[in-house]
Amino acid sequence: MSASSVPSTAPLVTSTRRPARRRWTSRRMTDILSHGYIWFCLAVFVLPFTALLVYSFTGPGGTYAIENFQYVLGSFGENLWWSIRVSVLSVAIDLAIALPAAYAIVRYPVPGKRLIYSLLSLPLYVPGAVIGLSLVIAYNFTYHLTTSIWGLVLAMVVGTFPLMLTPIIVALKDLPVSFEEAAECLGASRWQTFRRIVFPLIGPGLSAGLMLAFIIVFNEYLVTLFVHPSDVTTAPLRIFNLVRTAGLLPTTAALAVTMQLISFATVLVFFRVFGTRYLKATYLI
Amino acid sequence: MSTVRLVEISKQYGATVAVHELSLAIADGELVTLLGPSGCGKTTTLRMVAGLVEPTQGRVWFDDQDVTDVPPRRRNIGFVFQTPALFPHMTVADNIGFGLSVKKVKKDVIAARVGEMLALVGLAGYGARLPAQMSGGQQQRVALARVLATDPRVLLFDEPLSALDRNLRDSLKYSILELQRRTKKTAIYVTHDQSEAFAISDRIVVMNAGRIEQIGTQTDIYLRPETPFVAEFIGATNGFRGRVSRLDRDGDDTRVEVTAGALTVRCRAPIELAVGDEVLAYVRPENVVVLDDRDGSGYENVVDGQIDRVIFEGPTAQLRVDVGGREIRADVSGGLRLALVERQGRVRLGFNDVTVIRAPATDGTPPRDEAAATTAAV
Repeated sequence: MSASSVPSTAPLVTSTRRPARRRWTSRRMTDILSHGYIWFCLAVFVLPFTALLVYSFTGPGGTYAIENFQYVLGSFGENLWWSIRVSVLSVAIDLAIALPAAYAIVRYPVPGKRLIYSLLSLPLYVPGAVIGLSLVIAYNFTYHLTTSIWGLVLAMVVGTFPLMLTPIIVALKDLPVSFEEAAECLGASRWQTFRRIVFPLIGPGLSAGLMLAFIIVFNEYLVTLFVHPSDVTTAPLRIFNLVRTAGLLPTTAALAVTMQLISFATVLVFFRVFGTRYLKATYLI
Repeated sequence: MSTVRLVEISKQYGATVAVHELSLAIADGELVTLLGPSGCGKTTTLRMVAGLVEPTQGRVWFDDQDVTDVPPRRRNIGFVFQTPALFPHMTVADNIGFGLSVKKVKKDVIAARVGEMLALVGLAGYGARLPAQMSGGQQQRVALARVLATDPRVLLFDEPLSALDRNLRDSLKYSILELQRRTKKTAIYVTHDQSEAFAISDRIVVMNAGRIEQIGTQTDIYLRPETPFVAEFIGATNGFRGRVSRLDRDGDDTRVEVTAGALTVRCRAPIELAVGDEVLAYVRPENVVVLDDRDGSGYENVVDGQIDRVIFEGPTAQLRVDVGGREIRADVSGGLRLALVERQGRVRLGFNDVTVIRAPATDGTPPRDEAAATTAAV
């Protein structure tokens, strides 16, 4: 303390602030309680995952077994590979549709654009089972797509498209038009303006959409159950089938843990690369 | 080098008329200011010159080329926005070079031009910085360098200083003027700030409600306003609405007496008037002199009144005097302003330099067509 250097003010400060009693003010109690609450919630949510992790390393007779994860690369490898392929394809198609759509909705006076946006967002509010059933009917009687992976990919696109569209719309609305106008006045074509100005500046919104869509597709089970072709079994579907037919096995847990890790890694990469602008409220960074 | 000509351009947004049949010719190398209150259509006019807004009617000419249907990117203009609008993900150098890089100019040519531009705006050595690392004033300088780099035909400024603080505004407006003079570019400058317009313009276009009220030099619009709007918008003024009560012709010199309630003012008639005409008379506060006990000779108008308030403003003191129920404001400078600060009671004022304008048909905002008809009749 610098009490000796300012002797005249030190007593004044002590008498008004009473530092000894300040430690247990109600505000401090509230702080402790709110932190405690957050940690408690975290524990409740994280604990099941920890249990799964422990179980995935359990060998016969309660021993430690890393071999469970060999199944992931062997017998389950194909399922993971399907999941990744479906996710990447769906996300790519999502992006190809959402980017121009968002640009049109935000920048051009499209008639009835609120209605269009509401319709496009509809899949977010429709239960997966309903989407799955409708698509099965549509595919069977209309498009005959049930035998190829594209049926599954299109189903995923329908379900996750609004997740890609919304962050891009938000990012575009945040972007002042003057950047585009400045580029245009400097002689840039529409495409140059988009590629060199708009695209980099909506990067955070884009990547938020990419991440959300990827995570959802990668872990999607219900809609997949309805529309998957018989020779395509994604990882979540395989887990469900295994649990249903063979009960809870440590090898199944290993697959679940691997899926968890891939999802988690995607989120981490997202935050490291693109920052937190669009998902500020998370605890991850 | 370029002239700009607007021929009866209009812009309507639904039922709202933003700009109405506006015509304006700007000479090569001239700096013309569009001055007016917000919503008067000045920015819309500028954006029509740039091509960012499509006119509902009328044509825009650069030299002898009709550019009305040419998109902004092919008009070769330099547009400086209210915010610097520097691309935040590019360095200062890349921002300045952007206009050249989209035209596929070679990299070394761009680098040389960027260096030249940075030196021109006094920011040599700042090329590697990101816009966020620079102050607001520096950013606006970079924005200037960015538009000058492409060697545009016309420079367009949309209130470029309004986002800056006052001291910066003062220094930057002279930088803009100097750059425009040195590069000899034709320029249109939009502002609502009168002192800005007065400091840099060759000519000022005063706009109101989508139309031009008056075009002229600083002295034209300040000393010889042609419409009530210009008289009241430019500077402070004392306005009286009254009727011509007497008219004396003496050769070319016609003098009128205007009676507004209990107040009668005399002045030279700048326009053709008749007894009984409804007019507006204006006198600037700086032209109203406190006479006190001095003899009023030399002043056409001498009035007595009661001091309402004295507002000391530093270089001047504002005196608000009640003359027969009307308030007359006098701006006093010099030593007298100090003597006035504590002053109360009665005071005698004298003034010449009264401006008379024919009154629009009704009080308040006149119906535009009638006002136009009246002006035409004059």
